[in-house]
Amino acid sequence: MHKVLNNKLAIFLFVFPGILLFALTFLAPIILSGYYSFRDTLAPGTNSTFIGLGNYTELLFHDSRFWLSLRNAVLLGLGFIIIQHPIAIFFAVMLDRIGGKAEKWFRTIFFIPSVISVVVISKMWLSLLDPTFGVFNKLLDSVGLGALKHAWLGDSSTALVSMLVILIWAGFGWGLLFYYAGVKGIPEDLYEAASLDGASGFKLHLRITVPLLMPVITVQITLAMITALKQMEMVFLTTNGGPGDSTQFLAVYLYNKAFSASQYGYANAISILFIAVCLLFTYLSNKLTRSDATEY
Amino acid sequence: MKKNTKIMLWLFFLIIAAVQLFPFIWLVNFSFTSSSEFYSSSILKWPDVPQWQNYINAWVDGKFARYFFNSFFVTAVTIVLTVVLSLTLGYAFTRMQWKLRSLFFTVILLGIMIPIHATLLPNFAIFKSLGLTDSYLGLILPYTAVSVPLGTFMLTGFLRSIPKAMEESAVIDGANIYRIVFGIIAPLTAPALVTIVVTTFLNCWNEFIMASTFLSKDSLKTLPFSVMNFTGQYSSDYGSQFAVMVLTSVPAIIIYAIFNEQITKGVTAGAVKG
Repeated sequence: MHKVLNNKLAIFLFVFPGILLFALTFLAPIILSGYYSFRDTLAPGTNSTFIGLGNYTELLFHDSRFWLSLRNAVLLGLGFIIIQHPIAIFFAVMLDRIGGKAEKWFRTIFFIPSVISVVVISKMWLSLLDPTFGVFNKLLDSVGLGALKHAWLGDSSTALVSMLVILIWAGFGWGLLFYYAGVKGIPEDLYEAASLDGASGFKLHLRITVPLLMPVITVQITLAMITALKQMEMVFLTTNGGPGDSTQFLAVYLYNKAFSASQYGYANAISILFIAVCLLFTYLSNKLTRSDATEY
Repeated sequence: MKKNTKIMLWLFFLIIAAVQLFPFIWLVNFSFTSSSEFYSSSILKWPDVPQWQNYINAWVDGKFARYFFNSFFVTAVTIVLTVVLSLTLGYAFTRMQWKLRSLFFTVILLGIMIPIHATLLPNFAIFKSLGLTDSYLGLILPYTAVSVPLGTFMLTGFLRSIPKAMEESAVIDGANIYRIVFGIIAPLTAPALVTIVVTTFLNCWNEFIMASTFLSKDSLKTLPFSVMNFTGQYSSDYGSQFAVMVLTSVPAIIIYAIFNEQITKGVTAGAVKG
């Protein structure tokens, strides 16, 4: 056994292709990104000069868009945590309660938006929220609230909230599924014991379900913040960061800097900071999750 | 649960499902109407004459068949590569004995945390200089690279829960390492592998931003571009635009309907084990 598991050639054959692929598509790009981030490159492969930390000082101290993108990510993440997650937990518990065929059917149905291509979702919601023919405005008209009609994604005061609604709708299935899995993992006899103690309904879930779901909840909160930070396709395809910078996110910002504004070096500096922020978030939340896990 | 509560819950779920699926119902509905009906004040509208022409436009102008094949090919190759690499990496990380094991494991797991958007720009430059832009490989490589870390992570978790007895008896019977991994371990990890297949499928099939960065040749474009084809010159033809969105969504929904149980099981296993 030892001999088989020590087979150096096999280890090489098993590990090398994966590591090579990883080096080519993750490590090399990050190193190259680091290189470009110190230069004033306009497009990849063109002449440029070394400008030291120039791009970074500009980003951190003079670029309000960078901070706005981070702020938007935090707001979106909080939106997920405060709105999407409680709803998902509620539905996970209810699905578990209803049981039988309904449990399976509704679980299937609620997940459907999560399997649809982001391009379709973006274009669909652009139409739904359109100021002239969009369903939301037609609905407002039909109930006599026509005065509230709005260019939901085209107005900087409602664009970020509209984005939150779309993303909650699109990501609800995944959230529900994770919490559902957590609820399924809670042993039934705990509920029986608690109901003998006189707890019922909402109180029962507040005392049993929520505390026992805590490990899942902490992981999900981490994921929510990272999802918010990584927001790109949906924004890119609907508002492209606008109007103004009301829906600006780091990934959209760096993409536009590189491919529309011809500030390739600067865009790569955003990339490097983006990676740093993501790793920092993961590190912090891992620490939090770990200290929590020991309590339960 | 009391019968009345159950009926109430059923009704509540039905209403929520209808609200949640409403955007699709609306999409399908207006994919059968003409543009003039589209601007009417009604929220859902039975079309005067169902406009099948919209679907013909969607198929032809959306270049549906060509893009479908590209998506299918890229996704299939990515899935095969992801499964093989995740399996071999997962096995090497959990069972085999070598020095750099934990270092390389950490490196691979970094792939879960690093946002692909941050590697987009330099990858574009690297792929361009290697001649990989505008090739199937230019999508297959990054798609596989993104899928392998998560696949490896899931498999290492799964492998740790499998007792080593099977492998030990196989070694006594004279099986070599490749036979053990592909003949014994692969079938044992089938539930985890299927979950990897399904999540990889969903990610690749719907991926847009890498495809739009790395591809400019029309003959290589993937399914999401069918929808994009209708945003320029045909943007006022909403019937056809909606039809192409319906067509694009159908394959993913069918695959999901087939593998729905597997997705739930995979996530459940992952979440319970933490």
